[in-house]
Amino acid sequence: MESATVSVGHDHADHHHGPPEANQSSRIDRQTLGILLFIVSEVMLFGAFFASYFFLRVVVNPATWPPEPYELPVAVAGMNTAILVSSSFTIHYALESIRRGNRAGLKLGLVATWMLGATFLFIQINEYVHLAFSARDFSFGSIFYSLTGLHGAHVFVGLMLLTFATIRAFRGHFGPKAEDHLGVEVPGIYWHFVDIMWIIVYVTVYIL
Amino acid sequence: MRLDEAAVFKWVVIVGIAAALVIAVTLLTRPLVGALLGLAIVIAGCVYAYRWMGQKRH
Repeated sequence: MESATVSVGHDHADHHHGPPEANQSSRIDRQTLGILLFIVSEVMLFGAFFASYFFLRVVVNPATWPPEPYELPVAVAGMNTAILVSSSFTIHYALESIRRGNRAGLKLGLVATWMLGATFLFIQINEYVHLAFSARDFSFGSIFYSLTGLHGAHVFVGLMLLTFATIRAFRGHFGPKAEDHLGVEVPGIYWHFVDIMWIIVYVTVYIL
Repeated sequence: MRLDEAAVFKWVVIVGIAAALVIAVTLLTRPLVGALLGLAIVIAGCVYAYRWMGQKRH
């Protein structure tokens, strides 16, 4: 009996081919770690743009900022900020719903987030159309469009991720277990990052 | 604190409240005062994050 057990164990060892399984921390899964590392690199990218913004503002040092006669639509951008902040609450609601097994709440939260994000992007494009200056007008115009455009591009990418997550939700994917709704969790983390960056962009560019 | 969506959502709320404070101070006083307050909040956040990482290591 004992020799048979040893023999079975030996056979099992012989049939294992290839490299050993990759070690994984129990504290954080690979997908979440991947998006967090990606976000760290994105923070550095935004940091470079903010450094350019403050450098130009200090070096150009006009009497007023934005330079006369240009004005920024602070109220409209403030409403847009409220819309984007709301979308963070709806994506959080979607994730809390699927954690409790509420599929209807997941779908509702994802659709609401997508619509709020699309509204934000539409209002920003509309703002670009109606602004009295272009990216070629002074260094102010260049850095304004660069910084807000960089963020707009991130919103667009986030909307693409949300589109895929929403389609999958309506097809019946995702479940209450943590490993079964990573397809919503990862876009959710990215969306929160985009939201935080906009709050900083709004305060820096429109308010200060 | 765990590193998941709920933890990042908390940071959205924290940054939102801090931004609202900076906006209110800027509108009530001068942009320079708001900028200094924003800088103080960022420094306080960095100190908090550094201490939090130190606690995690031990």
